[in-house]
Amino acid sequence: MPKRKLDPLPAAAFQIMLALSAGELHGYAIMRGVEEQTGGRLRLGPGTLYGSIQALLEGRLIEEVDRPGDAEERRRYYRLTAVGRKRARSEAEKMADLLRVARARKILRGDYV
Amino acid sequence: MSEKMFTRLFRLYPSRFRKQYGDEALQLIRDRLRDETGFFKRARLGWDLVADVFTGLPQAYRNSYAVTESEPASSNSDRIPSFRILDKEPLGRGSILIGGTLSLGTIAAFGFLLSRPIAYVPLSGSNGRMSPIESVMERLNRATTPVDATVGGGDQVAKSTAVGASEPHPPSIPTPAKTTANAEVPLLPDESKNGIDEPVSSASHDRHPVKLQGDVIAPVAEHTSLDATERHRVIAEAMANLRQHYFDREVAQQTAVVLLAHERNGDDDAANNGVAFANLLTRQMRDASNDRHLVMEYSRDVLPERPPGLAAEDLARYRKAMEQQNCMFRKIEILPYNIGYLKLDSFPDTSVCQSTATAAMAALNHTAAIIFDLRDNSGGFPGMVTLIAGYLFDHPEYMYGPRGAPTEESWTRSPVPGNALANKPAYVLTSASTWSGAEQFSYDLKMLKRATLVGETTRGGAHAGTFHRLDDHFGIGIPEERAINPFGKADWEGVGVEPDVKVRAADALEMAVKLARASVTTKRAATTP
Repeated sequence: MPKRKLDPLPAAAFQIMLALSAGELHGYAIMRGVEEQTGGRLRLGPGTLYGSIQALLEGRLIEEVDRPGDAEERRRYYRLTAVGRKRARSEAEKMADLLRVARARKILRGDYV
Repeated sequence: MSEKMFTRLFRLYPSRFRKQYGDEALQLIRDRLRDETGFFKRARLGWDLVADVFTGLPQAYRNSYAVTESEPASSNSDRIPSFRILDKEPLGRGSILIGGTLSLGTIAAFGFLLSRPIAYVPLSGSNGRMSPIESVMERLNRATTPVDATVGGGDQVAKSTAVGASEPHPPSIPTPAKTTANAEVPLLPDESKNGIDEPVSSASHDRHPVKLQGDVIAPVAEHTSLDATERHRVIAEAMANLRQHYFDREVAQQTAVVLLAHERNGDDDAANNGVAFANLLTRQMRDASNDRHLVMEYSRDVLPERPPGLAAEDLARYRKAMEQQNCMFRKIEILPYNIGYLKLDSFPDTSVCQSTATAAMAALNHTAAIIFDLRDNSGGFPGMVTLIAGYLFDHPEYMYGPRGAPTEESWTRSPVPGNALANKPAYVLTSASTWSGAEQFSYDLKMLKRATLVGETTRGGAHAGTFHRLDDHFGIGIPEERAINPFGKADWEGVGVEPDVKVRAADALEMAVKLARASVTTKRAATTP
């Protein structure tokens, strides 16, 4: 059961991984990163965000980073693991394949993609 | 506000999730509250939080939290059984609330679905409009008006429950009571002779609606004005049948002579329609023979020519109809004070319905008193009358039926093994539409002083005769055996069975319950002083 949580990779989890590909981020930064990279379409709420983070941690696709911060504002930072990076790449390739097919079928209007 | 709302919503998450991410999540909200100001953004935040519950909750519950948490204490390596606590704190109020609401909602939805009326599927009838039972009832109710013949099945049920009251009569009929008796004759469930053939054959005869229309309309025109030759033919046929079938040759001869005399005297000349003529002949035959069981029937529809007998198809149709109608056992209830209540709308054939009947009686076996509601019962098979009555006796009892000499079926098979009703007070509810077999049940139990009849005088159809077809439209009911009434009186033919306690049919149940309650409580008081 737990193995299948990330298979297929949920959109939220993939977005988090993409956000983390830029570097180590804490929860709020991830949320902002996702919002930015989706053009404001996806704003992860705390439940979805930390639920996905927990799932990714359990799947060892990301890991928590120890980062000494201020005492009053201790935030947890996360980063992609090697496995996570590989998985993100394969996921992106899958999408690229899809995109190619879509383009070949002329589903996409124009040729800007 | 959003923070408060969030903390509430956050209680729905699993405790381990809350422990692990509670602070972080709250921090995230604070960050957003700090960054997103203005009405629109705040509203969006509120919406996000609510939407988040729907997407985030399942995810949060799917996670195992095993990896990031310390490993569960000792693995079971030393083979000591141990319990693993899945959740360290009791369920939050929010979880209970959500779970409770969802369960209630589901139950309510289920209840709602159950309470919805199931779409009415018309019993596939012989002509696609009516069930066999309904077509039988239709045939009964169909006196003479052509309108009535074409009336659909829709109001037949209502009619069948109050046959006596709603019997349609053309205005020209002088004696409506006899017409009803006439109409009923072909329904004699005399298994050995015409059995259930009649009702069903009338149904099979409805099978071709188009043809039926033709049959109905043309002969009506023809028969509304009976001429002398036609009348003579019917009288001649009736005389022949009387001489051949009536159990008393002398009376038959005498009756035949009277019929002929009436014709010669011109007494029949006024009767220029079928129903009036049939009623007239019935009166003449009864006057001459002093036998109320002689009856002449006129049918607007062509009477089936088929010799009486049980076609397998008819039986199958009857069986199916009975199964769909729970063998006409309408209600089986135990009322307060442990009073059993059985509403039975027919006495169906035991070969089809015996198990239903025994189950019904078994369900009421331990009641302190029993009420049989026959107010809507239109009769049926003597075998069932005997079967049900059998529960009220501890020794075989003779159930008088007007149809002829006693048969094996005339005696109850009492005592019924395991039966506890033999000495319990019994009540029979009657109405003006209680009929035929139901009247036999009422009459015999009354005469045997085994039940108290509560309600109205019954309709008065003894149906002793066997039906003989004279021509396409006329038939005659002739008793073929002398029935000896052990109670030394005339039976209920034409007069009905009088109740012991006369109340309106609508009030009969209330009255019977009152009587039963009184008898139950006095008995109880007597046994436990």
